[in-house]
Amino acid sequence: MVAKFLATDALADIAAAWARAYRLLAPVREGQAVVYRPWAKDMHPFLGRPPTVSAKEALFPQTENLLTYTYRKDQNDLTRTEVFLAEPLPQEPTVLLGCRPCDARGRKLLDRVFLERGVKDNLYEARRKATIFVSVACDRLENTCFCHWTGGGPTSEEGSDVLLFTVAGGYAAKALTEAGERLLAALPEAPAPAQEELAAKLASPAEPGPAPDLSAAPQAFLALFDNMDFWMDQSARCLSCGVCTYLCPACSCFNITDEPSGMKGKRLRTWDTCMSALYTLEGSGHNPRVSRAHRLRNRVGHKFCYHPQEFPAMDKKPGGQPEFSCTGCGRCIKACPVSVDIRRIVHDILEKGGKP
Amino acid sequence: MAAEQSRLDELRASVIAELPNVDFVLGYARGFDPLHATPITVRTEADAARLIFDATCVQNLTTGLYGLKGKRIGLVVKGCDSRSVIQLIQEKLMERSELVVFGMPCDGVLDLAKVRVRADITQVRGAEVSGEEVRLLLPEGAKVLPRRDVLADKCLRCRYPNPLVFDHMIGQELEPAGVEDTYADLDGFEKLSPQERFDFWKRQMSRCIRCYACRNACPLCVCKHVCLADSREPHWLSAEATLQEKWLFQVMHALHLAGRCTECGECQRSCPMGIPILLLKRKMNRELKAVFNYEAGVNPEAVPPLHTFLMEEDKIKDRGQLW
Repeated sequence: MVAKFLATDALADIAAAWARAYRLLAPVREGQAVVYRPWAKDMHPFLGRPPTVSAKEALFPQTENLLTYTYRKDQNDLTRTEVFLAEPLPQEPTVLLGCRPCDARGRKLLDRVFLERGVKDNLYEARRKATIFVSVACDRLENTCFCHWTGGGPTSEEGSDVLLFTVAGGYAAKALTEAGERLLAALPEAPAPAQEELAAKLASPAEPGPAPDLSAAPQAFLALFDNMDFWMDQSARCLSCGVCTYLCPACSCFNITDEPSGMKGKRLRTWDTCMSALYTLEGSGHNPRVSRAHRLRNRVGHKFCYHPQEFPAMDKKPGGQPEFSCTGCGRCIKACPVSVDIRRIVHDILEKGGKP
Repeated sequence: MAAEQSRLDELRASVIAELPNVDFVLGYARGFDPLHATPITVRTEADAARLIFDATCVQNLTTGLYGLKGKRIGLVVKGCDSRSVIQLIQEKLMERSELVVFGMPCDGVLDLAKVRVRADITQVRGAEVSGEEVRLLLPEGAKVLPRRDVLADKCLRCRYPNPLVFDHMIGQELEPAGVEDTYADLDGFEKLSPQERFDFWKRQMSRCIRCYACRNACPLCVCKHVCLADSREPHWLSAEATLQEKWLFQVMHALHLAGRCTECGECQRSCPMGIPILLLKRKMNRELKAVFNYEAGVNPEAVPPLHTFLMEEDKIKDRGQLW
């Protein structure tokens, strides 16, 4: 299939055209951050580096309305109150522009939680079906990148509908799904030099260097589970803030709260973070995860032990390592105020927990 | 370089000598790349060998100290960090006797946000600060930045390069280079109209993700689980991630820090979205300075002005007779 072409100076026009048919979320620079914003006139999509936030907000927004409710008193019998519920509107078709292969792979991990276990999450499913991911393949790995540790790579296609490759003068676009093909239908084919550059890129992608074998991580983690000194040291100065979990493309925990306002109200679903003490605080006042060490242990454990145990990956290759709940995007490392490095923790787990 | 090494040796030896007297020592080690340091707990001589101290040691290790009350903790501090220690002692949140303080005279730490606008450091291979230069080793070659351009703002106006409270002073004390804080940044901002200022904050706060890194990085945010941001009863904040909720928290944070904040800058540095929230705290501090002539975290014996009152304040006009 011939790649399509998005010229750099036509990018804003292409985005505007998409925005007429879809709700378009495009990455823009704000201060030092790169964030997704709903398309607005005069916006300049910025594809130059991985966005500060992950792409999960397109499927699993920080706040969403599960339902709204209204109470109405029976005028003839004021002891009787009726409640009326309204469910949110169906999802608009959405294009998310400018995420990276690591973000797109996060979709699969969110699917595991929201679609493949027990009850399907209707809201998530609706968004999932309505959303097209247009990813930008990476030319280089940052110091915090480790997508290749967990089965991805700088040009991984998993989870994306369209993959863009930087070429001279713009982007060569490869449609990976039917939805992606439809999105690109109106665009011109890439000119010959761009096609050649793309072929060359595909032939020799950015080489991420060797990745450690993490197959033993789940067992090693369990071996260290009760070693609180180990976790104390790993969490030395973890601040217990939500940076790592909120920026993570795979973290899926949420809270549900009712926000009443007089006779009506909303039931909200909002991101939650296992790094917060409140996450496990029980009504009695007891907290099973009383320290930062306990909470950091949970985050690492969930990603590298409980997830692989719960979802013994259907697509696991013989001899390959299990699926982890981590795409190696490195945001948790890059944005952590105290530079907690999950790679280092996994490395230490393998070293200290692997021994009999 | 030799002086740096001998100071590091002195720090490590000093820490090792104190290990029997403390539960552990909090210090800095090299993080995931040459521009990042990460805090570590030192329990053994082997841990102590990992200790570093240089311009990348940006974190204020007094953060969360309050949660370690009851333990005896060793702590590596810069001049600015020592002011947080003093503030914690003043407010009786820490006992001086519970701390063993290793004071590091410091001539400034890097502000990576400033480095980032001058160089792409996502693949940095090496970094060296010497004299007035910061030399970065990048994949495309070396890049030299003037040190003054990339020092944290607080360092450019630092009046306390030497820790104000310490048990061990490691290395030579420095001459304070900073001058009186003129709040020029704040002046510039306050020239804007109220509407422009509000629009500025609306734009900035709209990208807040409510991770509360600003709160958790603050050494003086000690409300723990009764923080208004977490409270359901009373229900100050909705769980909804709206501008209103985000903004209310920041205003409350700034008010709670009035007269207590030492401007260590950890709130702003920790923000993953690059929101300039220190400006709010600087506004509070300037008012406190003007009204009470008070500077937080300098004198362990002082009482923060909003923790007490005078029957007649010098600069506060009573609104007439109350009784």
